[in-house]
Amino acid sequence: MTDYVDAGEAVAHRTLSNVKGEAPATRNVDYDRIKGAKSEPENWLTYYGSYDGQRYSPLDQINKSNVRKLSPAWVFQAGSTGMHSGASTYSFEASPLVVDGVMYVSGPDGKVWAIDPTTGDELWRYKHASPFDTSLCCGNVNRGVAVGHGKVYMYTLNAHLIALDATTGEKVWDTTNGDVRAGESGSAAPLIVKDMVVVGSAGGEFGVRGHLDAFDAQTGERRWRCYTVPKPGEPGSETWPEDGEAWQRGGANCWITPTYDPELELLFQGTGNPAPDFDGGVREGDNLYTDSVVAIDVNSGEIRWHYQFTPHDLWDYDSTMENLLFDAPDGRKLLAHADKNGYFFVIDRTNGELVRVFPFVDRITWGEITPDGKVTPKIYPDEEGVPVHFWPGPAGGKEWTHMSYNPQTGLIYIPVQEVGATATRRRREFKESIPYWGAGVAVDLDDHYGFVSAVDPTTGEEKWRWNHEYPMCASNITTAGGLVFQGTPSGEFVALDAETGEKLWQFQCGSGHHSSPTVYSVDGRQYVAVPTGWGGWVEGFLPGLLGAAAGDALFCFALPED
Amino acid sequence: MTATADDRADVLHKAGLDGQNRTALGRMLGTGDVGYAEEGDDGVMRATVTIPEDQLIFSPSIIVFPHGGDIELTIINDDKNTHCALLPHNGDPKIIWLVNHSKGTARLNLDGPGAYWYGSTTGNDEGRGLTAALVMGGEVPDSAKLDRPPQPRP
Repeated sequence: MTDYVDAGEAVAHRTLSNVKGEAPATRNVDYDRIKGAKSEPENWLTYYGSYDGQRYSPLDQINKSNVRKLSPAWVFQAGSTGMHSGASTYSFEASPLVVDGVMYVSGPDGKVWAIDPTTGDELWRYKHASPFDTSLCCGNVNRGVAVGHGKVYMYTLNAHLIALDATTGEKVWDTTNGDVRAGESGSAAPLIVKDMVVVGSAGGEFGVRGHLDAFDAQTGERRWRCYTVPKPGEPGSETWPEDGEAWQRGGANCWITPTYDPELELLFQGTGNPAPDFDGGVREGDNLYTDSVVAIDVNSGEIRWHYQFTPHDLWDYDSTMENLLFDAPDGRKLLAHADKNGYFFVIDRTNGELVRVFPFVDRITWGEITPDGKVTPKIYPDEEGVPVHFWPGPAGGKEWTHMSYNPQTGLIYIPVQEVGATATRRRREFKESIPYWGAGVAVDLDDHYGFVSAVDPTTGEEKWRWNHEYPMCASNITTAGGLVFQGTPSGEFVALDAETGEKLWQFQCGSGHHSSPTVYSVDGRQYVAVPTGWGGWVEGFLPGLLGAAAGDALFCFALPED
Repeated sequence: MTATADDRADVLHKAGLDGQNRTALGRMLGTGDVGYAEEGDDGVMRATVTIPEDQLIFSPSIIVFPHGGDIELTIINDDKNTHCALLPHNGDPKIIWLVNHSKGTARLNLDGPGAYWYGSTTGNDEGRGLTAALVMGGEVPDSAKLDRPPQPRP
């Protein structure tokens, strides 16, 4: 046989594509710029658009009078090659960021792109190789990136925080921050605060110990770690069994980006469920700081105060979803939170004092919370092998997908899920990396619906409701054009009148929505971008659509140029 | 019927699962050999994989690495058909085109621990059997571990 033909060396897959390889340099994004994000409405500089989590755009070119003319400007298809983790559960969950005419967005399976936000052209791409066997409770997903200090930051599926050069996509540093053998993973969008990058852990269904971490934005060195389950002897440890091991596997993961108040220098982090999710017999007590908002000093990582929404959770009622910051007419600094447990909380964000609590869903059977905050569980899986049905189901009246606040109307728009579930307690021993639920769970396949609820957070009054046959499983966004944009599980992207809830426009994107839309402008033209792609924990929030079409496209809409 | 580890190869052969166009149309994934990479003094882990004639399989079909890091993989196509390999790599997957009787190299960086699949992404080579795994062993750094006592594992 002759010598082998020289096949050369393997090359980057992207070199065989039309990716350009470089993005235009932008002005540096630093702490001051992110603090003043609302003063540059053409950009969407950080995960929620601004530190307060309001998801409000001051842009009004697209408004109630012309939104019916809104049309696709471009579509970006993520696609996939080869075998990857969560091959049937991937979802395009991100919130795109836009900085000075460059869009940065992450997708499933470790992908990050820089995209021309006017054309959809791919400027650069990075793909972090993600182990096929990473423990993922809820699919192969990533909720977004942070951009600043000349870098793009992403938390990978296998719990590495990576920093990429913002103009080339080349990796600058890579810090391993989680233990994949313990069942930890990463899915949250990092947050830049001062000269740090903040990101939280995932893995609550595998019995890990939740934490939020801050890193030097330039080097990746960890500045602090805040565990959200205390060790014995620490404040809050009295809410766990004294002689047990439960705290070691207590959960309280921080898998959604915190909001932040620059004046108070406090991060407001929602925490996840306790573990095991449904078997409270092995973790008697309130189980702090699970299902809570914890106010964390950004300089030290110390917890200043907390408020627990569901003490001793037995229904998988994570409270990781956003804590939206707003000020009352009298100037009182408040925080709004729509919890999985079906109640809407308004809290004084300076001290954690409850201001108001009221239900925002129709069906609550798990228990009751009185207006003064007293919690009384009523239905829960406490007897081995006995099925118990409850509302809301474990995905909650609202899951991680985000509500928005419009200062023009004073209303908060909540994407609501009306889905129940049955849990049957099945005690099991703990083994690292194995799911640790303590129950068999089946979410209802029917008798579900959803709506967008417009609520006045100062009174609790629902001003209007836009109904849909399916639960709302995507974030919404509101604009100065008097609009609320909401994606539906059945693929429609709709524009609602922010004052009345009337549907003014819709476009069928071909796959369900489970992401966070973004509003921005370039050269005076306003755009609305929304990742689509039905997936993630569908069996948890809407199993009635487990067979719906998957997808992974980023749609961008604008008014016709002529 | 069950099989022990020792007789699994025999059981697969008797069932016609370890070759092309026997019981199934292609060869069942994960039925090939296991190999081990060697770590050099430079810290690079090296291994060789071949595509034997008419088997539509990467051999060994599972390569075990002691930990995550830099990898140098030599890939030899001994088949009388053209294939390729799309391989995982931090930054972007890498691809190499492998005409009949060719030999090439892939330099990769992968995190550990964890398993990664790669395959020949032409036609349905992947489904016929040309899908294989790179498995990284080891543990994450101590700085990435949780502050808690050692826990039981399966």
